[in-house]
Amino acid sequence: MHETALMKNLLTTIEQVLDSHHVSRVNRVYLSVGQLSNALPEALSFAFEAMTREGRLQGAELIIENRPAVARCESCGEEYRVEKFPLVCPTCRSTSFIIISGEEVYVQSIDCEEKCPDD
Amino acid sequence: MTRLQINQDLKALNNQIAVENREKFAAHNVYVINIMGSPGAGKTTFLENILPKLSLELRVAVIEGDLATQNDALRIEKTGVQALQINTAGGCHLDAKMIKNQLSKLDLDVLDLLIIENVGNLVCPAAWDLGEDQRMVILSVAEGEDKPAKYPIAFLKADTAVITKTDLLPFIDTDVNVMKKYIAEINPKVQVFTTALKDGEYEADQVVQYIREAVRRKQCR
Ligand SMILES: Nc1nc2c(ncn2[C@@H]2O[C@H](COP(=O)(O)OP(=O)(O)OP(=O)(O)O)[C@@H](O)[C@H]2O)c(=O)[nH]1
Ligand SMILES: [Mg+2]
Ligand SMILES: [Zn+2]
Repeated sequence: MHETALMKNLLTTIEQVLDSHHVSRVNRVYLSVGQLSNALPEALSFAFEAMTREGRLQGAELIIENRPAVARCESCGEEYRVEKFPLVCPTCRSTSFIIISGEEVYVQSIDCEEKCPDD
Repeated sequence: MTRLQINQDLKALNNQIAVENREKFAAHNVYVINIMGSPGAGKTTFLENILPKLSLELRVAVIEGDLATQNDALRIEKTGVQALQINTAGGCHLDAKMIKNQLSKLDLDVLDLLIIENVGNLVCPAAWDLGEDQRMVILSVAEGEDKPAKYPIAFLKADTAVITKTDLLPFIDTDVNVMKKYIAEINPKVQVFTTALKDGEYEADQVVQYIREAVRRKQCR
């Protein structure tokens, strides 16, 4: 449900970037969504669509890349993908870990059309 | 066509305000607990029962988060503890800015412990740092023993878990040990407590003791 809050932040972030560039149209927005972010891609797309019916991102496409979560073993330092619980280090079998990535919802980049200087 | 690199986490602003909140709490020696759990898990009941005990030794205040109503803040005030209510008007979680906005209403210099009851929801609050020291998940036996497995992120990020309503165990088929096993499988570091309502008495002494010690540890650092 907090996908709407995330998409509001997305629009604010992108609008700040647009303010400092001469952009006539945004074609695509590339977003990375961590496996442990508790944000559903479908709900993000839905909120994005609803919020870009008008305004400066009108018609932009949202492209979501799902990012796996990674844990670091606290016994041997090995980094491994979070797949199923309980987490067990593939190297030393320790169950002591910290999560080092997978919580992020991250705007990577946007594709856009730049305005001609005399527009 | 041009590609503009942005590279920004959408929770960056929240995380930055959470850091500011955390610094402010540290400067005033206030220990902060963020309580999360499903609607009706027993969060406010737990607070109503532990606050009188905590208040014997500590100066406590509570921030209540709900979609609507002042109900929970009013319940807390009946225990004699100051309570501020945040209404999120549809928002499914509290964020760091909402907490920051409440801080001017609290005198942090005369406080040892601030408890935040998040919006009833086992999913969204886990993703939003408020600047707390301890994340506590409250879960009732009535929700079923497999809830930790179904909602792993809340438990992955928790420091403590409190299993409530154990007085209902004779009437349902939840096994508390299985529930504890599920929690430990997701996050072996979580400290798990149970509470019970017996003959009108609410038993939560171990978790009260744990909170007192955690507050003292922060203040003696
Ligand atoms: N039998 C029993 N009932 C309990 C216990 N704790 C809470 N309840 C009941 O559960 C219901 C919900 O309790 P609340 O404390 O309001 O739950 P909450 O988690 O604060 O709910 P929200 O803030 O609305 O999400 C109330 O009817 C309580 O009386 C318990 O230990 N045993
Ligand atoms: Mg409540
Ligand atoms: Zn290892």
